Amino acid sequence: MKREYVNIGGRLPRVDGMVKAAGEAMYTGDLSLPGMLHGKLLRSPHPHARLLKVDTAPALTLEGVRAVITGEDTLKFLAGGIASPGNEPYLAFEKVRFVGDAVAAVAAVDEETAERALALIDVEYELLDPVLDPFAAMAPGSPLVHDDAPGNISFETDLSFGNAQRAFATCDYVRYDEFKTAPIRHGFIEPHAALASWDTSGRLTFWGSKQSPYFTYRNMAKALDIPMSKVRIMQSYLGGGFGGKNEMFNLDFCAALLSMKTRRPVRIVVSQEEVLYAYRQRHPAWIKLQSGFMKDGTLVAVDAEIVAEGGAYKGIGALSLYLMCTFLALPYRVANLRAKGCRVYTNTQPSCAMRGHGVPQVRYAAEVQLDMAARELGLDPLEIRLKNAIQSGDTTGNGFEITSCGLSETLLEARGIVERWRGETPADSEPHLKRGIGVASYGYLSGPRMAGHNTSAALIKVHEDGRVGLVTGSTDCGQGSDTVLSQIAAEVLGIHLDDVQYGGMDSEIVPLDPGVFGSRVTFITGNAVKWAAEDVRAQLAGVAAGLLDAEPDDLEFRDRRVFVRDEPDRGLPFAKLVKSAQYSGTGMTILGRGYWAPEDIDLPRFDTGMGNQSGAYSFGTQVAEVEVDTETGRVKVLRLAVSHDCGQPINEMLVEGQLEGSSIGGIGHTFTETIQRRRGQTMNASFLEYRMPTALDACPVEVTHTDTVDEMGPFGAKESGEGVQVAVMPALVSAVHDAVGVWFKEVPITPEVVVEALGRGAEAAQNADARRGADARRDSRDDGRSRDGESA
Amino acid sequence: MFLPDFDYHAPETLAEACDLVRDLGPSAKVLAGGTDLLIKLKHGLVTPTAVISLKALDELKTITHVPGRGVVIGARATHNDLVNSPLLHERFLSVSEAAHKLANNQVRNRGTVGGNLVNAIPSADLPPILIALDAWITLVGSNTSRTVPLHSFFTGPSCCVIDPVDEILTEIVLPDQQTTGSTYLKFALRRSGALSVTGVAVAVTMDGDTIVDSRICLGAVFPVPVRANDAEDLLRGKTWSDELLAEAGEAASCCALPITDIRGTAEYRLDLVRVLTKRALKRAITEGHV
Ligand SMILES: Cc1cc2nc3c(=O)[nH]c(=O)nc-3n(C[C@H](O)[C@H](O)[C@H](O)COP(=O)(O)OP(=O)(O)OC[C@H]3O[C@@H](n4cnc5c(N)ncnc54)[C@H](O)[C@@H]3O)c2cc1C
Repeated sequence: MKREYVNIGGRLPRVDGMVKAAGEAMYTGDLSLPGMLHGKLLRSPHPHARLLKVDTAPALTLEGVRAVITGEDTLKFLAGGIASPGNEPYLAFEKVRFVGDAVAAVAAVDEETAERALALIDVEYELLDPVLDPFAAMAPGSPLVHDDAPGNISFETDLSFGNAQRAFATCDYVRYDEFKTAPIRHGFIEPHAALASWDTSGRLTFWGSKQSPYFTYRNMAKALDIPMSKVRIMQSYLGGGFGGKNEMFNLDFCAALLSMKTRRPVRIVVSQEEVLYAYRQRHPAWIKLQSGFMKDGTLVAVDAEIVAEGGAYKGIGALSLYLMCTFLALPYRVANLRAKGCRVYTNTQPSCAMRGHGVPQVRYAAEVQLDMAARELGLDPLEIRLKNAIQSGDTTGNGFEITSCGLSETLLEARGIVERWRGETPADSEPHLKRGIGVASYGYLSGPRMAGHNTSAALIKVHEDGRVGLVTGSTDCGQGSDTVLSQIAAEVLGIHLDDVQYGGMDSEIVPLDPGVFGSRVTFITGNAVKWAAEDVRAQLAGVAAGLLDAEPDDLEFRDRRVFVRDEPDRGLPFAKLVKSAQYSGTGMTILGRGYWAPEDIDLPRFDTGMGNQSGAYSFGTQVAEVEVDTETGRVKVLRLAVSHDCGQPINEMLVEGQLEGSSIGGIGHTFTETIQRRRGQTMNASFLEYRMPTALDACPVEVTHTDTVDEMGPFGAKESGEGVQVAVMPALVSAVHDAVGVWFKEVPITPEVVVEALGRGAEAAQNADARRGADARRDSRDDGRSRDGESA
Repeated sequence: MFLPDFDYHAPETLAEACDLVRDLGPSAKVLAGGTDLLIKLKHGLVTPTAVISLKALDELKTITHVPGRGVVIGARATHNDLVNSPLLHERFLSVSEAAHKLANNQVRNRGTVGGNLVNAIPSADLPPILIALDAWITLVGSNTSRTVPLHSFFTGPSCCVIDPVDEILTEIVLPDQQTTGSTYLKFALRRSGALSVTGVAVAVTMDGDTIVDSRICLGAVFPVPVRANDAEDLLRGKTWSDELLAEAGEAASCCALPITDIRGTAEYRLDLVRVLTKRALKRAITEGHV
């Protein structure tokens, strides 16, 4: 049942909008402290080499250089690691493992001096054979990236329920395909930045650019071997993250250690070029996928072998691999699933989470294969999805409990959109321009259960003028969570959004919180804020009950007033109530406290993929229309539509922002973005050559809300941050197929790839027509595996 | 990634600028918008001890029509000056459109025509359309002034005939001409902020449906912007048809000698020459200077 809210559901402007638009928002790189030094990192130019010598003495003689540190100056703490210990040094010792691995760091009076000092550090390398391809890496006799990882295996997941092999024998139709996705970048505009200040009391104050400041807090204490109470993590605004700013990085550590050594504040801001070649990427994946169906389209069994290139270090890759495997169980019912995943080390930049975290790769494969199967079986792509769509009340074979699900509604919505678009689409205007429409669906989690601390927390302080301050450990990396969380507090307290001031991150006061990843903030932190606000309300209700001679439970908080329900005149202004509580008698300090995490969620089994991963799951369907120029191979995305179920949207405008951003991002992932490397060197470490879509490449995005109300979510809300990234690629790939009759099993589909697939010159357009025609004519087959004739 | 130290000059007159170029010799570099030069300086690819900025020379920024000479574009005119010039809109919209396809708005606000020519990279967007329109340029030295047809200005990647220790490029002249249509088609991997994979410019002189003459210039497929003579010869005097234009595209591809790089393979670039030449010709024939 939907309810009427004041601060929930509408299109309220973001609370940080004005300062950001005015250019007043201070990001970490904008901060400076008196006496501050500037740091720079020396990076390996080799993909794989033994460190024979790192001589810092020449650099130290340069005027203005205050300190130089190498791996030998550190405690050799190894970062990263989920499910097993990490293996990433903040400064390399013994070996470097990718081009960009940090070898030393300098602090100097200005950035220029620091950079000049880097050139003076004398490093002797013994070059080792690099492993640059995951399959070569797994081959016997391949050089090892880590001596303790035979076969360069970083992590393995083997998920199995039902019996896929046996079930295939009962299927009317089984098909097998191989898919591949590209290494891509998060593309945040604010580069990594850190400012650290160490004082003689042994206390470190650190300003970072982090989605999860408490991860840095924890690792900082360990890496420097200092008590957590001596680490103070602060943060103001964040210029984008998309999963690339979860972990603590070498620059964070080096700023702190250099400050410790010099007793001066040290700031390190890396260049965008460094971000692009020396930090994180999305796991490229090779996916072998076999699916079995009955004639009516029922999905019976899925078998997948996934190889994910992990790059040089473990990081949080076990979670990535786990998600790749488990999301073969969603968003369709399937009784038999086997998913074997293998994360492999190579001498390239480390892979980590990125919007959708592993799921876009496998769902691209699975959704495209579903469409292929639908064509072969003579079924409509929407019908086959409706046939198999998961429903609320279902539990997947590996234990995902689907408590609310609007997938079928989104598919019905999408059917309307497709029909309308088909009606609106003119006939091909020129022989070389072909239009097509595609659909794909997704399911996603609202916050994954992590192995360690999982609880979000919030504090609300009430000011005597009736305004409140709210803090949580969840940061706003652009997605709008400061606004959403403030709305939740305002709704519970019956005040206006303007009355809530969202505070920045400061570990001195802000409670421990895992931060921002896995689409957890609205769902998990949102509940914590709700609880904190209810705590405030209960404290104030106690006072108001005395003043109004009423029962606390009979009081209503609305429109900056507190009054007896059904007797609106018996009440008083919220501000007056606060003042009464604070000023009379002994006086109260009104602080609200809330913490929350879904109960009864299983600890994740990264090795088997079993267990319920999240308290709620979101769903949606994406529709795409494209126009393919068969002569140049250029694909123009004409429009996109998303129909989605994120529970109750807390802020419709912000949800739309997420849907639009994801959709446009997906255009880049499908058509233009890939990291180009040669012998381990990144060839396109700039935004000129690493081509994310610009405003001109974007297209209109239609959004329809087909929302459910999730019982567990705050005001019924679920996630809407990452799920929407999942279905864009397959919808676009399917639209391209609809246009030219070719299935692309590898992304990105660059113009050149399209030309290669269609043939050259005038024959390309004929080929496209012939292939489209063949598809339309093909009847359902009652046996066997398909050929791969029309694939590229 | 930092600018090295250098002496900075901003002469007030062209004569002063030319004297400085001569006096400072090979240790100096001329600076216009800086969108190429500053990047090279930061990467240490060039290491001048002095930089001579042209920023005070406003006389090099105008776009005017001089009867008897043609449309005269000052070398310091920015790409957005070209984009927004009413004179170009009236006479050679194709030049405005070509400038608009270059880089992104920020770069177009700073980058200049002169810089785009002297920088002389094979994928530059202005040379093809200017060559197709038979432009010539003026190079002024401390004691000399000469005019050079733009098609013989480029000698190789990053090389041109300008005397770097004596000359400044002052103007580009689009002569009054008989051409009836011209256009530049750029193919890049994104709509904005991307260098050309291939660019093709054409200018045609039509008499009814007869192609009296044409100039076709290909970008990013040869060490310098190159005229597709074979295609031009094939078209001369013929009545246009789609088949003829496709043949011209084929002939143009024989004039290209592209390389494979991160933006595309040589083979794909030849595909693009075929397609873009055909399409550019049709556009110029049927739509005029666009
Ligand atoms: C992000 C980005 C995108 C870009 N995209 C494109 C693109 O799509 N297409 C394209 O063609 N270019 C592109 N460029 C390159 C560049 O912007 C252009 O070539 C621009 O026109 C250069 O002009 P400028 O005035 O900035 O030259 P500068 O950098 O000032 O100078 C370039 C060279 O020319 C010399 N020079 C300049 N003016 C004169 C003169 N009057 N006389 C003698 N020598 C002179 C300088 O000494 C220097 O060697 C791009 C650049 C960037 C940074």
